[in-house]
Amino acid sequence: MAGDLKKKSIFAKLGGQKFIVLLVVIVLFTFFSIASQDFRKYTTVLNIFDFSYYIVLMAIGVTFPLITGGVDLSIGTGLICYSLAGGYLVVHLGWPTGLGLLVSVLFGILIGFANGVLIAVMGLPPFLATLCTCMITRGLGSICSKGFGISWPTTGAPGSWFRSIFKMQIGGTKIPIGFIWILIIVAIMAFVLNHTKIGRYTIAIGSNKEAAVLSGINVKFYHIMAYVISGFFAGLASIAYAAVFPTVQPGTGAGFELEAIGGAIIGGVSATGGAGSIEGTLIGVFVICLLKTGLPFVGLQANWQQIITGLVLIAAVLVDIIKKRREAK
Amino acid sequence: MGEVILTMNDIDKSFPGVHALDHVHFDVNRGEVHALMGENGAGKSTLMKVLTGIYTKDSGTIEFEGKEVEFHNAREAQDAGVVIVHQELNMVGHLTVAQNIFIGREFKKGFRIDDKKMNEEAAKLFKRLNIDIDPTATMSDLTVGKQQMCEIAKAISHEAKVIVFDEPSAALTESEIAELFKIIRDLREQQLGIVYISHRMDEIKVITDRVTVMRDGGYVGTLITKDCTKDDIINMMVGRVIYEEPKTKSLVPDDAPVVLKVEHLNAGKMVRDVSFELRKGEILGFSGLMGAGRTETARAIFGADPKESGDIYINGKKVEINSPEDAVKNGIGYLSEDRKRFGIVVQKTIAENSTLATLEKYMKGIFINKKKENEVTQKYVDSLATKTPSIDQLVVNLSGGNQQKVVIAKWLVRDSEILIFDEPTRGIDVGAKNEIYKLMNRLAAEGKSIIMISSEMTEILRMSDRIIVMCEGKVTGEIGIEEVSQEKIMNMATREIS
Amino acid sequence: MRKKVLATLMTAAMAATLFAGCGDSAGTDTASAGGDTATATEGGSTEAAAGDYKFEIIVKSYQSSYWQAAVKGIEQEAEAKGVTVNCTGPNAESDIADQVNMLNNAINNAPNGIGLAACDQDACLDALQAALDAGIPVVCFDSGIPNAPAGSVVSTVATDNYSAGATAAENLYPALKDKIGNGQVRVGEVNQEATSESIINRGLGFIDKFAELAKADGYTVAVIGNEKYVNDSKAETVAEADADIVIEVAVPAQTTVELCATEASAIMNKSDTIGMFGSNQIAAEGILTANENLGVLGDKILAAGFDAGSVIKSAVSSGTMYGAVTQSPLVMGITTVDVLCDAASGKSVSDVPTDGYWYNADNMEDPEIAPNLYD
Repeated sequence: MAGDLKKKSIFAKLGGQKFIVLLVVIVLFTFFSIASQDFRKYTTVLNIFDFSYYIVLMAIGVTFPLITGGVDLSIGTGLICYSLAGGYLVVHLGWPTGLGLLVSVLFGILIGFANGVLIAVMGLPPFLATLCTCMITRGLGSICSKGFGISWPTTGAPGSWFRSIFKMQIGGTKIPIGFIWILIIVAIMAFVLNHTKIGRYTIAIGSNKEAAVLSGINVKFYHIMAYVISGFFAGLASIAYAAVFPTVQPGTGAGFELEAIGGAIIGGVSATGGAGSIEGTLIGVFVICLLKTGLPFVGLQANWQQIITGLVLIAAVLVDIIKKRREAK
Repeated sequence: MGEVILTMNDIDKSFPGVHALDHVHFDVNRGEVHALMGENGAGKSTLMKVLTGIYTKDSGTIEFEGKEVEFHNAREAQDAGVVIVHQELNMVGHLTVAQNIFIGREFKKGFRIDDKKMNEEAAKLFKRLNIDIDPTATMSDLTVGKQQMCEIAKAISHEAKVIVFDEPSAALTESEIAELFKIIRDLREQQLGIVYISHRMDEIKVITDRVTVMRDGGYVGTLITKDCTKDDIINMMVGRVIYEEPKTKSLVPDDAPVVLKVEHLNAGKMVRDVSFELRKGEILGFSGLMGAGRTETARAIFGADPKESGDIYINGKKVEINSPEDAVKNGIGYLSEDRKRFGIVVQKTIAENSTLATLEKYMKGIFINKKKENEVTQKYVDSLATKTPSIDQLVVNLSGGNQQKVVIAKWLVRDSEILIFDEPTRGIDVGAKNEIYKLMNRLAAEGKSIIMISSEMTEILRMSDRIIVMCEGKVTGEIGIEEVSQEKIMNMATREIS
Repeated sequence: MRKKVLATLMTAAMAATLFAGCGDSAGTDTASAGGDTATATEGGSTEAAAGDYKFEIIVKSYQSSYWQAAVKGIEQEAEAKGVTVNCTGPNAESDIADQVNMLNNAINNAPNGIGLAACDQDACLDALQAALDAGIPVVCFDSGIPNAPAGSVVSTVATDNYSAGATAAENLYPALKDKIGNGQVRVGEVNQEATSESIINRGLGFIDKFAELAKADGYTVAVIGNEKYVNDSKAETVAEADADIVIEVAVPAQTTVELCATEASAIMNKSDTIGMFGSNQIAAEGILTANENLGVLGDKILAAGFDAGSVIKSAVSSGTMYGAVTQSPLVMGITTVDVLCDAASGKSVSDVPTDGYWYNADNMEDPEIAPNLYD
């Protein structure tokens, strides 16, 4: 039996990229903690969590299109757009907060569905289709809020209960309970990816679409579903964004998707599709969030932060390529 | 041998410009292995695609288990029990063996896919087939042979009653083929109907009960395997061929020097210990069936694929060719069988394509010397008689024959002395074919040396001064044009190598 | 991560959506950009006193309520004067190239005058020369362009940002005074960028005034962080190690709230930080966002903001933010249209400085302050 298999590297046995990336997270955290005494404070951890939720949620969603071999560029501007739309209803039209949040999520699902149809049914390349919806959502966001920034109810104000979804105040301490939700969501989506039809066919589409078609799978449906999931999570991310930041500004959001996609790829999603894991994506996003939060603490100017993040991403993609080359041999 | 399970009657199918199937008859019995044979393009694959609903037939009937059926897609055929094991494997590399076998019809427990049950069922299946594969292994970790076993297991698991094997042995090693045959015999015992498509004459003799031969989309006849000889089958496959001005003698002078010598070339499975010589002014035909390793040999010589071993001499001097760039520097030009993918840039003009391989000669500083480029392009448009309104015409607007001329011009501009034509007239109409032939003859007469890979027998017989026949990556014969015959070539092309 | 290849591609492609995002497409002549508050002159009498003037006005962005208020002022005054105004602006204040593009388009439309709030003080210079050649008077508002070709900019309607920044320092310094002197203390300043004149001047005004006041009390100051601000500051400084007060200037890579917040929290986390200044709405909101977790404002650290908006207003009224400086975008918008009309009719015009006002929980409701505190 063993003779039939090509030899697995030690690297693969350790859980592959996920393991290395987890090490990177630990090393980064240790480094920042040693380099800056201000970094090793509870409030910094709170900050890292706060600023990670919306990226993690986007990244979990975009993992699905990435595994199909596609991409979803519309999630960043989409997130802002959904939050503006929901927020407008709540702030200016007096809708209950819950209903506004629901609208945000439904809006996300709708755009995700549109992406899916453009890509799976009409055959547009994912890059192009979602680039278009990226522009559309950016414009739509401004229209939804009539060009104004939207301030969802601030902490303490009526209707601000949703802010405590992610952070609860118990006694004098703030607890980042959002991270617990994130862990639960990661567990659920990891199950979806590995143990349900949607997940399995997402992998099949990315790995060998032709084989999936010939196996009689309704490939179009499952291809669309990958983008619906991405849109749904962009909708959830819009809630996380509104809960953490005081105002949502129209015209922003472009660039968020790159952090999510970058996180997913650092976490081991194959740049060419077919492989990836939700837990890997979670860890990958934390590399990006740690860099983003930690680098200012060691006194690095903003532009250097971006350069370093870019270099880390290149390293992650190279690991993926080297891994593939080794497997090919 | 049991009763008839599948009958295809009077099947007719046309594509624009091609009569692909001409009233073909084919049937399979329970507990029978029925070979389907024919040259490349005889219509075997088309017939099987009609059977499984990938193509719709124009007329004719298909009877399966006594009832007339018409499948609209592979899934319907599968569900009824007609399954194809494709030549190209259709496996999802990132999933496990069991996940692949049951893809599209997973066992479920609520929302959850029941991987445990799938592994058990796959294990049962492998046990029944006497195959030793771990159902939880990742598909891409398996060897090609094992992957093929999985394909077969997948077919069986569909409760298949008829299994079509489309050249199953092409990618397998000797021991894997032996294992495959064991499985096929088992399936025959279990009263399944099996269709076996292959080019390998010796396999046909070993494994099949009957042979149906097709030629040019038509049905030729069916023989009982044990009652016929290899020659009988070859004669049916070759049939009566109209020779268009076949060459009768080599036009190469006796004292022509050897310009290219290849010794013991090895490159992957498809190029095994290939040696040959090419002389100045010669057209050397490379014949063989599809997948014989001719294109792979050409690509290895041209440096497009990596070589494992072997030496190449040009004009008696040993050369290192590790990339197409090296080959081009050594005066070798390669005209790919797939022009659109490798030969030309269709959205560019004739002029831009002509100088593509030689652009550094037409530069003035960092700019392209448009005037010089136009001059040389015009020269070759004139001398090759390329039909185009102007040299600024986009290549995509030219006919196939004229596109081919642009590719030839590209290499002539480069002063290539050795030209490898891979299927030079594929997709080119008859009139244009003749022009390409004339052009090749003229180039040879001018002292260029040509390797011509062709799957068309008439083309080989008409153009070559000498013919090399390949089979399964090896040179199985070399024959001068004077003593050649179709039968001899076909014999060499299907020769068993052990 | 941002501004990588994709981002660049996107930014380029997004020029198209800008118009969708902010009002009527080119060709229509109603002033309805951003909101739908004004529909200007359509159907009205063409006999209006100011004539049939057509103005192109380009704001920095539609990102903040600040600009919404400015546009509101512009539209109000346009309707009152019976002139036609076409308002445009890029999606974000960092989209400098887009704005230059819009300016060039505006020049091509040959209006009677152009109102411009420049995102970058140097990027528009060529376009201004073109406007001068075409004989179109340009009125700068909110931010001036110091190096503009002579004669191109006929008037600048702007808050004296340098003194507005100084106003913040004048009000913040006395409140912090008690904490200075017992070992080194730190004052942070978050500026959303280092390219536009208004933001730079506010930042410098704060730094210089703060240093001046500290020096008067006998303290030494060091300025660290973003090079642009460190180099341009006129404050008398000493080495960081020797300073009683360290003023640390942070500038994020992009003008977004979360990046301002990240920069702000890095400074606010330091144990010696006693004061913060955010030089516009986004920077001030970044400081407030960082405080959500840190909970240090109003107690350990006193923060001064700039501009208004509902979030900053509620923070000031609750005491989380010590106070803020506001300008009057509404007045600025109105004044811009007035000056444009004067310039178009050939009257000589000159620079119009507008004021910055300090507000805190105590004076927010005062009649001279309240109207400027837009949501």
